[in-house]
Amino acid sequence: MQLKRVVITGLGAISPMGVGVEALRSGLAAGRSSTVSMRGEWKHFRNMHSLVAAPGPDLDERRIPRQNRRSMSRMSFYGHDAARQALADAFGDGSSWSGHFSPGRLGCIIGSTTGSPIALNRTFEMMLPERDIAKLDAVKFFQCVSHTVAMNVAQCLGITGTVLATNSACASGLQAVGAACDLIRLGRQDAVLCGGAEELHPSVTGSFDVLFAASSRFNDAPSETPRPFDRDRDGIVCGEGAGILLLEDFDHALARGAKMYAEVSGYHTCASGEHISQSSRAALIRCLQEALDSAGAAPEEIDYVNAHAAGTLQGDAEEAAALREIFGDRVPVSSLKGHIGHTLGASGPIELIATLLMMRDSVLYPTLHLRNPAAECEGLRHVTSPISRPIGTFIKNSFAFGGINAALVCRNII
Amino acid sequence: MDKQQVNSRIATIFETEFEVAPDRLLPDAHLFQDLGLDSIDVVEMIAALQKEFGIQLRDSEEARAIRTLGNLQDFVFAEIEKSQAGDGPAPQP
Repeated sequence: MQLKRVVITGLGAISPMGVGVEALRSGLAAGRSSTVSMRGEWKHFRNMHSLVAAPGPDLDERRIPRQNRRSMSRMSFYGHDAARQALADAFGDGSSWSGHFSPGRLGCIIGSTTGSPIALNRTFEMMLPERDIAKLDAVKFFQCVSHTVAMNVAQCLGITGTVLATNSACASGLQAVGAACDLIRLGRQDAVLCGGAEELHPSVTGSFDVLFAASSRFNDAPSETPRPFDRDRDGIVCGEGAGILLLEDFDHALARGAKMYAEVSGYHTCASGEHISQSSRAALIRCLQEALDSAGAAPEEIDYVNAHAAGTLQGDAEEAAALREIFGDRVPVSSLKGHIGHTLGASGPIELIATLLMMRDSVLYPTLHLRNPAAECEGLRHVTSPISRPIGTFIKNSFAFGGINAALVCRNII
Repeated sequence: MDKQQVNSRIATIFETEFEVAPDRLLPDAHLFQDLGLDSIDVVEMIAALQKEFGIQLRDSEEARAIRTLGNLQDFVFAEIEKSQAGDGPAPQP
């Protein structure tokens, strides 16, 4: 069976840098940090050590029809907006896309760590004090389910193809892109809106906080954290947003004269089978190597690595070890989490979009706050300031709790 | 509470919870066809009315016959009167 080629033809982003792909690009180009203090907002939560976050923008939710809006939470609003951006990017305006697809041939795969944490917390706040089921309202469940973003976006846009949610914490979004790629490669869909979405809540940061994985030493200097690969890194800074891409069958895109950002040439996802929270360099190496093999690319052909590196002590060290093993100190590496925090399930797609813009603009954005690479993160070609440089092929990593790894290889086809 | 006060509070629910313009809130307006509600909205409406008036509506058989806003107003007013007369479910706090 001849596999289809897959290209990226539309981008949409809501990030801590603001609404839209251009806001993301300009924030990265300016070297901005989007981490802020949450000391005031989270003051009602006791024993939280990490009082920093990278919040996303507030959207005008009333633009969405009420019967679509009622089942959406903040993460679905983000996913919906980013999806509309991606369609508008691909088709000129958001309403003209439907005529390009036969019924059932456009899919929607959007991942997130969980359903809406805001809705989940609210549900239990309403129900638990009196253990009263009557306190539940009719629509909260639609915000709590794991596939809330995928189903809400698909419903709102009238998408009738394959709808899936990938829920693998920080790898959710990149797994969504990979799953979309596989469906198109196999000829099961002509195109798929895919990516990830997340929303901030103290319970999310708190979950990392109790594991000693959230940044807590920069509460008085929030713009200095997170610090991927740096010797002073002390954990992640949770962020929120959505990154949605339109992946499309190359022939379908070619026939309609579509703009193409890149070809998705390789993808792999795997597990370590070792530990529920610790990254494993052996599993990361296997994931990266399999992704390269599926792209038919040798390590020497990779021009840039967009790292997962979230600023954790153990995770960054394991990723650095894996990258050192495969790429040595030849390939430029950076993580964008110093700029935009860790948007968890949205991080893969948001950072993938940023990397596609780097490819388009022939520039590499650095790892913000990487001033003194930690000894265990040395031996890589860290990007510490913007570099003008063409990118022919890059690899994007996402790693998650559960030992879940994902890596995507994209090739410039211009 | 008289019927006019009940109708006014029902109107407020329609305007705030379901974003229906006041000029569309006519007694003959069909809840689904004219006011745009659907099955999930009905569940939300029952919850909102129970909270607003402190009555229990969810298990009422008569509620199934409601089609128009006027039907709903009459039904709610009757349920309030029943509850105040002591032959209905106890008002909720």
